[in-house]
Amino acid sequence: MLVLGLETSTSRSSVALVDADRVVASASLGIPRRHGEFIAPAIRFCLEQAQIDVERIGGVAVGVGPGLYTGLRVGIATAQTFAAGLHLPVVGLSGLDVLAFQVRSTSRPICAAIDARRGEVFWAFYRSSPGGVQREGELMIGRAEQLAAEIQSYGEDVLVVGDGALTHREVLAETDAILGGTANGWPEAAGLAELALPRFVREETIRPDQLRPIYLRQADARIGWEVRGRLRGGVGAAGADGADGADEASTS
Amino acid sequence: MLVLGIETSCDETAVGIVEDRFTLQANVIASQVELHAPYGGVVPEVAARAHLDQMLPTVETALAHAGARIGDIDAVAVTSGPGLMGALLVGVSAAKGIALAHDIPLVGVNHLRAHVEASQLEHGELEPPLVALVVSGGHTSIVVMEPDGGFRQLGSTIDDAAGEAFDKIARFIGLDFPGGPEIDRLARGGDPEAYAFPRALMDASYDMSLSGLKTAVIRELRRMEAAGVEPDLADVAASFQEAIVDVQVLKTLRAAADEGLDQVVLAGGVAANSRLRERFTQECDVNGQRLIIPSVPLCTDNGAMVAASGSNLLAAGVTSELCLAADPNLALAG
Ligand SMILES: [Zn+2]
Repeated sequence: MLVLGLETSTSRSSVALVDADRVVASASLGIPRRHGEFIAPAIRFCLEQAQIDVERIGGVAVGVGPGLYTGLRVGIATAQTFAAGLHLPVVGLSGLDVLAFQVRSTSRPICAAIDARRGEVFWAFYRSSPGGVQREGELMIGRAEQLAAEIQSYGEDVLVVGDGALTHREVLAETDAILGGTANGWPEAAGLAELALPRFVREETIRPDQLRPIYLRQADARIGWEVRGRLRGGVGAAGADGADGADEASTS
Repeated sequence: MLVLGIETSCDETAVGIVEDRFTLQANVIASQVELHAPYGGVVPEVAARAHLDQMLPTVETALAHAGARIGDIDAVAVTSGPGLMGALLVGVSAAKGIALAHDIPLVGVNHLRAHVEASQLEHGELEPPLVALVVSGGHTSIVVMEPDGGFRQLGSTIDDAAGEAFDKIARFIGLDFPGGPEIDRLARGGDPEAYAFPRALMDASYDMSLSGLKTAVIRELRRMEAAGVEPDLADVAASFQEAIVDVQVLKTLRAAADEGLDQVVLAGGVAANSRLRERFTQECDVNGQRLIIPSVPLCTDNGAMVAASGSNLLAAGVTSELCLAADPNLALAG
């Protein structure tokens, strides 16, 4: 079974073709805001280099967040039309789960942390389990200081991975946490597809139209009350730019 | 040749299907008006989320209307700009997913150009050169379509788009969003000459300014309120609308005269305004100019116009690479 993985929920974008034995092909880009331009050519690149026809793909796995909203939507919109057209089943996974899965060989508790911008972080805690990781608790969003307090109260030396750990290195260095480096800084499509593969085998899949991003913030969260007042006075299509939510919506 | 067109530049998730450049097979629009109404304007993040929720269902509904399967589609066209970045990216990404899955050409379309070319679905092949006014909540532009099918922008609003001015005044006098249709309705019972609101016609340029008019209307309403005079809102709406229409008609027809063009196309959501249609019809009649206005469903943002414009590009041998970028400020080049 061949799985196409798409992961665009962080500042990084990646694509991979994975089967039970290996990562057949992968492409990854660490330049922010390029999800929209990178993903489709990268899919074609992987297929061409591996000399694989789209018909041989058995399922599509895609990162559903939490993460950067614009990137998330690029991955999900691409996955939806691609999978629907080819009648493929879909698995949506959190990039936090993938981050933890990528360091599953550790014996420490794992905290996956993705930079949510505006001084905030998306995070979740995990422990290694046979063949993977087990999430402990909910997917969270909060200030970096709040994450530091959570890590400190854990009572064990936690391994923190993800670009949330890189961005907030100074705040988290105050704790006893061990910080992962850039090698474990982002969820990669290869890890995502590998984590998703058993779900395809067990047919724990959804239809493309059932894919939903995990935002963890309201769509109008960035509109302060002052701006809301102005909006009520009437701001037309071009005027409400300040309100684009979690991320880097101004460019791709 | 069946072309599927996707439009997500602002607050409508729209998919159209056009056969052989001129025949409309489907035109499905999932409107977000109700989502944005509480804010009195389009909120970009709200728009982008709703586009993603509606994208796949809208594609599937359009296919059903056309009686086609996705495998029957020969090419996919998509608005790549101008518009809201997060909104555009949903459509562009969805289009790429289709192009990849079915190994069919992708073609990026300019939204303003698509508004003008929508008219070919009802009036047959456009015979440029012609002048067009593209007027909506997001844009107010006067453009020339050259004999070779290329576009050139002559002027545009330097502040509010016409639809935006309608929204703001509607909001101020307590009407619903979007304001255009509400003002249009209210103005029918009013006197367009009751109030002398300013027309910022400025100089010989084809640019327009509408924010001064908006301010003048608000100042007049406040003055009456302070003086204890109950305004006749129908008269206010009619006078305000007349001022906007005057500016659009005068600038567009002056552009046509200066360029020596005798065909005028009206396009965009505000082209649905009944007074604007009436005045253009009268004036073009007097001047002996041919006026082309699409029906209302093809004036407001729609996917059929994108499919039509994409079909024209494909016929000219133009396609886009899979790395096609969404461009919020895409210019009307070539
Ligand atoms: Zn438009």
